[in-house]
Amino acid sequence: MSQAIFNYLLFRSLYEPVSAFEQLAKVDPSPAGILLRYSLWLLLLPPVFAFIGATNFGWRLGAAEPLRMETSELALISVGYLLVLVFGLVSTALISCWMAKTYGANTSLGRHMALITIVGQPLAVASVAHLFPHVFINMLVLIPTMIWSMYLLYKGIPIALQTPPERGMLMASSLVGWLLVAAVSLLGLSMGLWVAGVGPLLGV
Amino acid sequence: MKSSSEFYLDDVVIRLVQFSVAWAVVAMAAGVYLAAELIWPTLDFGQYWLSFGRLRPLHTNGIIFGFGVSALMTTAFYSVQRTSHVKLFTPGLAWFCCYAWQLIVLLGGLSLLAGYNTSKEYAELEWPFDIAIAIVWVCFGIVFFGTIATRRIKPIYISNWFYGALIIVIAMLHIVNSLAIPATALKSYSLYPGAQDAVVQWWYGHNAVGFLLTGGFLGMLYYFLPKHAGRPIWSYRLSVVAFWAFVYSYIWAGPHHLHYNAIPEWVQSLGMVMSIILLAPSWATMINGIMTVSDAWEKLRTDPALKFIVLSLAFYGLATFEGPMMAIRSVNVVSHFTDWTIGHVHSGALGWNAMITYGTFYFLVPRLVGGELYSVRLANVHFWLALAGTMLYIMSMWGAGVSQGLLWLSVDQIGELSFSFKDIMASMTPYYALRLIAGIIFLLGTILMAYNLYKTIQGRQASKVEIPAVNPAYGIS
Repeated sequence: MSQAIFNYLLFRSLYEPVSAFEQLAKVDPSPAGILLRYSLWLLLLPPVFAFIGATNFGWRLGAAEPLRMETSELALISVGYLLVLVFGLVSTALISCWMAKTYGANTSLGRHMALITIVGQPLAVASVAHLFPHVFINMLVLIPTMIWSMYLLYKGIPIALQTPPERGMLMASSLVGWLLVAAVSLLGLSMGLWVAGVGPLLGV
Repeated sequence: MKSSSEFYLDDVVIRLVQFSVAWAVVAMAAGVYLAAELIWPTLDFGQYWLSFGRLRPLHTNGIIFGFGVSALMTTAFYSVQRTSHVKLFTPGLAWFCCYAWQLIVLLGGLSLLAGYNTSKEYAELEWPFDIAIAIVWVCFGIVFFGTIATRRIKPIYISNWFYGALIIVIAMLHIVNSLAIPATALKSYSLYPGAQDAVVQWWYGHNAVGFLLTGGFLGMLYYFLPKHAGRPIWSYRLSVVAFWAFVYSYIWAGPHHLHYNAIPEWVQSLGMVMSIILLAPSWATMINGIMTVSDAWEKLRTDPALKFIVLSLAFYGLATFEGPMMAIRSVNVVSHFTDWTIGHVHSGALGWNAMITYGTFYFLVPRLVGGELYSVRLANVHFWLALAGTMLYIMSMWGAGVSQGLLWLSVDQIGELSFSFKDIMASMTPYYALRLIAGIIFLLGTILMAYNLYKTIQGRQASKVEIPAVNPAYGIS
């Protein structure tokens, strides 16, 4: 991977996403290179912020008293959070690559990995809100960020993967379907773990 | 000169579109008002008929039976003629179904506001309305199956199988669940005692979701998506397999509404397992739809409605994954009785049912009146409003639901509940405010569509469409 595209991914995609997508369309970076040199560091941000926030302030779910847990419990949850995020990114890139054949898009896995990273990057940065883990405040920050990420997905696919905008729109919608399923799976998985005894103490 | 019997009957289809859109606006407005009441309870102004308990069934009945069933009658009447190459069987009865159904929804809605309610969810209307519904539904069946019986083409297209299942199964569910002993003109008592009543009710309730809000709308999808795309369904064989798998597995899923209740545990487990199995036919249909549209991408340039259908498939995928997941007992123990369930219902109702209906109406109405859609730009604005409203709604309810589930079940070291119900509910206001905004955005989009379709229809009549000749290879001799 050239240093130029690395710089684009690292900085410019946040405020000049279109030029980052155009730059990405010219190269075929290594998937492992993107993951290890770039994506993984971004994915570290949400669990680290969540850990720091929860240890200092507790989970603020709206009730008068915050929900507090042992540090070891919070560390376990944060590690789980990181693993889920890594799985989410890699599986989304693989699925995007698989879908690309149907929608006549470029099938370079590295390019898909970079695209999904650029799309997810605003969410990783906005996870700074986890430093104060009040659910509603986090939602207020993350919902507009998620809308921006969706815009990046719809905008980025036709440019970076070199497919007509209409086909890109269909592919982006299919990926949104997958991402919605992934998001709701995360909720279900969390609940399953809470009931199994990992996380907050529940009377079930 | 051709005789009038060789033209499709489309006047009734246009009238049903108008009723469906009108109910969508009214019932969604009621939903927005309810969302506001959850933030400001005094908005009922001390009037019983404006109270949450009375407006809520008006909202659900208005959406499901007013908006939803009218849309299903619209598309069933339109597509069964085209796929059978004949005019509707007994046109007079079709008109009777159209108007009688609206009268039932209107008077039924007023009876709910007046406080007459069986207390069975989605089956709140009292016994005189239940009898009227059964009569009109049977008439709907006579028109639909009569048209199929008199068809001029051998194959029965897959959309008709779904509409047929809708008519037969909803008749069975409605009649069995509504069996009751009348006490007065507007009060009755269920024939089933205690827990049996609950099992029958949720056998009805979940299959109303299954065969009406899913199966019926899949009929709509299977006819209108290939029409939009201008190509046949990706795999006809998969659609038939998915139909039978869907019909077989859905009917068992109801008990997942009664987890941890006073019904046998094996019944709960059966409901859970069959709910999970349901994912297979549901996603088979989703994949079939996505693959059908994937080769028709050029159409997106000229067809503003196709976007609604593409997105409806994404939300269909979400809702049909989320439902089985929430049916798992270890998830359900946290999620049940929280606002996550409300979010799940709306990811289906707004994202799937409403979106596919909007896409279909934008496609259908210009063709019915032989003109162009009044404003493509307004339709595009509507698309983004619908998407934003649905996403915001789902997210706010996910946040509220997960918080509620955690807070309700949280216990301290000695096993005492950590938080009071009252405090938890008081802390939900910000989420409910977000939901209200989402509802207003979605309603605004629906009003734009109503205006757009009104201007499209204004001053026009249903265009006369001649019934085409049947290819002899498929004709009934």
